[in-house]
Amino acid sequence: MRAVFALLLSFVLLVGCEQPEPPTDGSTPAMRRLSNEQYRNVITDVFGPHITVAGQADSLLRTEGLLALGAQTARITPSGFEKFYSMARSIAQQVVNEQNRSGQFQCEPASITEPDDSCAKQFFSDVGRLLYRRPPTTDELAIPVTAANDSAVSNGNFYAGIALGLAGMLTSPQFLFVIDTTEPDALGLSKWQLTSHAKAARLSFLLWNTTPNKMLLDAAEAGELDTQEGVDAHVDRMMASHRLEAGVRAFFTDFFRFEEFDTLEKDSIIYPAFSAQVIDDSKEQLLLTVLDLLMERKEDYRNLFTTKKTFLTGPLARVYRVPTSRPTGNAWEPYEFSQSDPRAGVLMQVGFAALASHPGRSSPTLRGMAIREAFLCQHIPSPPGDVDFSQFEDPESPDATAKDRLEAHSIEPACAGCHKIMDPIGLGLEQLDGSAQFRTTENETVIDASGELDGIPFEDGAGLGRVMSQNPATTACLANRLTEYALGRPLGAGDRNYMEYLEQKFADTGYRFPDLLRRIATSRALYAVSEPANNAGPLQGAATSATTLAIAESQP
Amino acid sequence: MPRTPSLRSRLFYLVLFFCTCLVSPFQSYAQKPVDGTLGFVVRDWFTAIYNSRFVDECPEGLAVSNDEIWWRGLSKEDRARLTDNGLRSNLNRYPTAMRRGPNGENVCLNPTVVTDPPMNVVEGRYSYGVNLDGDIDGSATTKNCAHENFTHPDGTPGIDNQMYRLIGCVYGWRKGGLPELIAHERRGTSGLGMILIEVTGVEDARNDDNITVTFYRSIDQFALDGSGRPLPFSSYNIDMDGDGARYGDSLKGAIRNGVLTTVRGDVSLPFYGNYNFMHPVIKDMDLRLEIATEGTTADGLITGYYNVDRFLYYVGGMVGHTSAADSCPAMYRAAHELADGYPDPETGRCTHLSTAFEVSAYAAFIIHPKNNTRQTAR
Repeated sequence: MRAVFALLLSFVLLVGCEQPEPPTDGSTPAMRRLSNEQYRNVITDVFGPHITVAGQADSLLRTEGLLALGAQTARITPSGFEKFYSMARSIAQQVVNEQNRSGQFQCEPASITEPDDSCAKQFFSDVGRLLYRRPPTTDELAIPVTAANDSAVSNGNFYAGIALGLAGMLTSPQFLFVIDTTEPDALGLSKWQLTSHAKAARLSFLLWNTTPNKMLLDAAEAGELDTQEGVDAHVDRMMASHRLEAGVRAFFTDFFRFEEFDTLEKDSIIYPAFSAQVIDDSKEQLLLTVLDLLMERKEDYRNLFTTKKTFLTGPLARVYRVPTSRPTGNAWEPYEFSQSDPRAGVLMQVGFAALASHPGRSSPTLRGMAIREAFLCQHIPSPPGDVDFSQFEDPESPDATAKDRLEAHSIEPACAGCHKIMDPIGLGLEQLDGSAQFRTTENETVIDASGELDGIPFEDGAGLGRVMSQNPATTACLANRLTEYALGRPLGAGDRNYMEYLEQKFADTGYRFPDLLRRIATSRALYAVSEPANNAGPLQGAATSATTLAIAESQP
Repeated sequence: MPRTPSLRSRLFYLVLFFCTCLVSPFQSYAQKPVDGTLGFVVRDWFTAIYNSRFVDECPEGLAVSNDEIWWRGLSKEDRARLTDNGLRSNLNRYPTAMRRGPNGENVCLNPTVVTDPPMNVVEGRYSYGVNLDGDIDGSATTKNCAHENFTHPDGTPGIDNQMYRLIGCVYGWRKGGLPELIAHERRGTSGLGMILIEVTGVEDARNDDNITVTFYRSIDQFALDGSGRPLPFSSYNIDMDGDGARYGDSLKGAIRNGVLTTVRGDVSLPFYGNYNFMHPVIKDMDLRLEIATEGTTADGLITGYYNVDRFLYYVGGMVGHTSAADSCPAMYRAAHELADGYPDPETGRCTHLSTAFEVSAYAAFIIHPKNNTRQTAR
């Protein structure tokens, strides 16, 4: 009887209790450089949308499949610093000019022709808290205040001094890098964890892609982020905000490799409907499709590969050759491809199929590689240096279709190994030409768009989408990428149990993206740290040096 | 989720409601139109002009221009006075030359205030076009005034094209002349005078004996590629006048081996060129359109009877008479003399000119407003 009772109790506990989150080894504390988008978002949030950010910082290097991971190893070169400094000077000048300054200051200087130590301290203290994502230390505050006061004396203008100090603050490592500061884990679940301010920053950049606002910083300082309940509450609040869209956009911009659009070109003779506007619109089409399906309708992530619903502008409609009631301008309207239309899923959208193509022709290889790397998180080695493309690119080739020409790869041992895992996938999209316009023939020969993915055959692009949606690696890849994006580091062996847990939870919730995002945002793993970090020392020294340098260069 | 997507969502489902009902039958790539409709937007519209290499069709030479007639009528002193001692360019003396009426009237707006010498017209044998009146000899009937017929370059006799006879010897109106080219370019960049052709009831895009062809206007811009050429399969909204289309006359027809032909009927069409609008009703109009195998483009001929007064109204109001090198009074007189269709019941004088226009078109989606939306390209 006792044994039966124990069995029943065990069953009730198993069913009724949430499986605990497995521990991870935690992240090594790091400094991650702000991306261009994050930099702009922060400036807008701190100083207002009317402040123009003129210029671009150096791009981050895509690492392990994500730009966000490149932020961890990003360094600022002298020329890169010049770009940041130029942007900072421009922003600072705008902030203090007569049109804008009224909304930026909580105090009035006693005289605008003289220094005002108190007002300068208040300004840099308020602004510094948002820019540094924590209150500036006394030493950190002293640098811009002193610079502002000195400059006000020499220039006879309080606001010129503020601009100088602000430019220094905007070029300091504390602002340009999101720094993992650590402390012992309050709950004792792991040895170390991020400090409350670092947690706030991680949460804010993950969900809103910007600096923590005052409410989140207040919460951090009140210790609300040191409890699971507190984290849960703030994650729920932030996920209910319209600003979540910015965070989701940022992740999928990275996930879809949008930086490759910057160098995308198409031959206008071959693809007359493909324009610069189409490039811009195709990026937005992917994001709108994602936002609508995953966030608005909260559908299964796998449906992204089979959905018929999307959004179109006039220029995009001309590439897809479908009707639109808004042929001119760039107004968006929802569109649903008919069931008989061969198109379905994001793989058949211009933003994917045209991007993974050559300027004048399609590329089953590029498309297959992009699917493997972006959507299945698999790495394809670079081609050998002595690869012979002549057979594939021969204009006199008797092989009419890409499928025929790619046969060359399958008989060339040096090529076959990789191409056999890329080409059969990419061939499924061969009914889309290099601009992603649908076709049924190539060189007057009917295109055979059949192929296979990991042994599962399909007949065409829509079939490829269905096979992708059923591939276990598809959902695992998203969970992995989102976790890496949130943590800012590649996953390691110490994360295996946690990822198995996360993928299972993702499956349990019907592969709903918001649930996955929430689970990561509220996880202990997001804030776990592997070893203590030195919070000051060299970092403070670097900050001081950089700020001093920026200010020194500004001196008249 | 977010506030913006919520708004978008509402819009999505609202529009999706229509899309589900109206757009879902659409298929962008089907050999047969899913809803039995083809659509085209007319890009090129040129009067069919037969030019021989040595201008043999104009044995008396080309027509004398307004500027020339004005110049001939001036004394040497007036020529010097009105042209800065001969230094003023043709373009700059155009306004003066145009106001050569006895009281300074603009003779293009008042073509009857002066009597110009008879205009040189086409006397050649050949012309493009079709046999509109059904006879070979061009004799007068109850529907036609006596006229001389042409022979088509392919040998077909009985071709009626009095419009060509009228303007075929006017320098600027000959093939490749500036007035039509400028009008063509202006239509391309402005979208004004855009003609949509919707073919409905199509079961087989290459062969169908019972179709309906409807002519609409759009005031959207042409969707052009980087070279200025129209992009096929672009969408164009129908120009509406209240609840109905501003233009929308229909003809019955057939498609045989990819060639669309219509039975004749009166069709109102939009026209814009040289900064002047015209709204002609082409009587007994038919369309012959050869649709390219892949369905992207179509070329053809529109023939019918063109109202003389509407044409002269257009000519009188257009900009570009210097490049046209025409004379409105002479053309006015010649047009009425050459008119061969639709005699006035009271005067017996014909009111219409037989004519032919060469057209080319691109496949297009013709967008009906709201719940009348219809897909119109294969």
